[in-house]
Amino acid sequence: MSETRLKLLQYITGIGLFFLVGIHLIVSHLSSGEPTAWESVSQRAASAGWMALYLLMLIFGLYHGIHGLRTMIIESIPRLPARYVDWTLIAAGVAIFIYAAYIPINAFL
Amino acid sequence: MEHENKQLTFRVQRYLPGKDKRPYMQEFKVPMKRGLTVLDSLLYIKENIDNTLSFRSSCRMGICGSCGVLVNNFPMLACHTPVEELHTDRITLKSLPNFPIVRDLVADLGPLFEKHRSIKPYRISAEAAEAQEPTAGFLQSTDELHSYVQFAYCVKCGLCMAACPTVASDAKFLGPQPLGQAYRYCSDRRDSGAKERFKQADTRHGIWLCHLAGACSEACPKGVDPALAIQLLKRAMLFDSIRLRKPPAPAETAGPSKETKPRVAVPEFTVK
Repeated sequence: MSETRLKLLQYITGIGLFFLVGIHLIVSHLSSGEPTAWESVSQRAASAGWMALYLLMLIFGLYHGIHGLRTMIIESIPRLPARYVDWTLIAAGVAIFIYAAYIPINAFL
Repeated sequence: MEHENKQLTFRVQRYLPGKDKRPYMQEFKVPMKRGLTVLDSLLYIKENIDNTLSFRSSCRMGICGSCGVLVNNFPMLACHTPVEELHTDRITLKSLPNFPIVRDLVADLGPLFEKHRSIKPYRISAEAAEAQEPTAGFLQSTDELHSYVQFAYCVKCGLCMAACPTVASDAKFLGPQPLGQAYRYCSDRRDSGAKERFKQADTRHGIWLCHLAGACSEACPKGVDPALAIQLLKRAMLFDSIRLRKPPAPAETAGPSKETKPRVAVPEFTVK
C-alpha cells in the first residue's frame, strides 16, 4: 500500500477515534446512573452493538497508534531496514489485537 | 557618525577537512559602517585579516542563492542580511546545518541538488514529439500564473533544508525545497508530469514525514513558502490516491504567429 493511502487511513482512524472515544467517554463517565457498575458493564458486554463498537475502537486505536509509532521510527532511525520495521509492527499489532479482542468477544459469548 | 569606531565581533566557523578533526570558532573584529551586510563583513575579513577564510558568494543581491550561512543560529543569505538588523555586536557564523561541510562556511549543497533532480523539476509534456520540437506556445492567464509563481521564485539556496527539523533527523527525507518545487510544476497547467512526481514524493522518506514545523517558510529569503506548497501537494496526492483529484485542464496552445520572422542564425564567436 502506498504511503499516501496509509496516511489517509491514519486520518480516517483519527477522525473515527474522535467519535468512538467520545461515545465511550460519554457512556462511561458522563451518563447518569452507574455505567461502571457490574450490571451495566455486563449488560453492555452482552450487546452485539457495544462489542462491535469496542472492537472498532480497538482496530482504529491500534492502527492509529502503530502508524504513528512507525512514522517516529522511520524519522528517528532512518537506517533501520524498512521491511523489519513494518513486519515487527504488524506482528505486534496483531498480537495486541488478539489479546485485547479476547475480552469483549469472550464477554459477549 | 553613529557607527564611527564601532567594532563588530565575528565568531566564524573554521574547518579544513583532512587537517582539522572538527570545526572550531575563530574571532575577527570588523569595523561597523552603515549598510554593512554579513557578506561585506566576510569580504572584509578575507581581504584584510585572513585570506584563507572560505565562503561562497556570487551575485551579492539575493538572487543566486550562493551565500547561505547560519547567522546567529538562523539560516540566512549573507548578502541579504544587514548587520544592523541583527541588533547585536557579536555575530556567529557557521556553515548551513544538514549539509556536509566542504570548508569553513562552504556547505556541500550536492544532496539538495540530487533530491531536487529526483522530483523532475521541469515541464513534462504528455507528447514526447511536442516536447522535443514545440510547434506552438502555451497560453496562460494571469490567474494561472499566480497559482504557482510564488513557488517559482526558489533560488535553491538550501536555507529551507538547513532549517527543516525533519531533514536534521532523517537525511533521507526529501525536504522542503524539492517538495515545494514538485508542487510548483504539478500546479502548472502546461505540465503533464504530476503522476511521476507524486510517485517520487510518495515514499517512506517522502512528503508524509513533513510535520509542518514551518521553519522552511520562515527561513526562505524569497518568500516562497515551501510549507504551504507541501500542504497543497499533500492534498493533491491524497485526492489522487482515491481518484478524486481533478487534474487541471491542459493549457491551450497558440498557433505559430504568421508575423514571426524566421529565427536569426546564431553568430559565430570564434576568434579568427
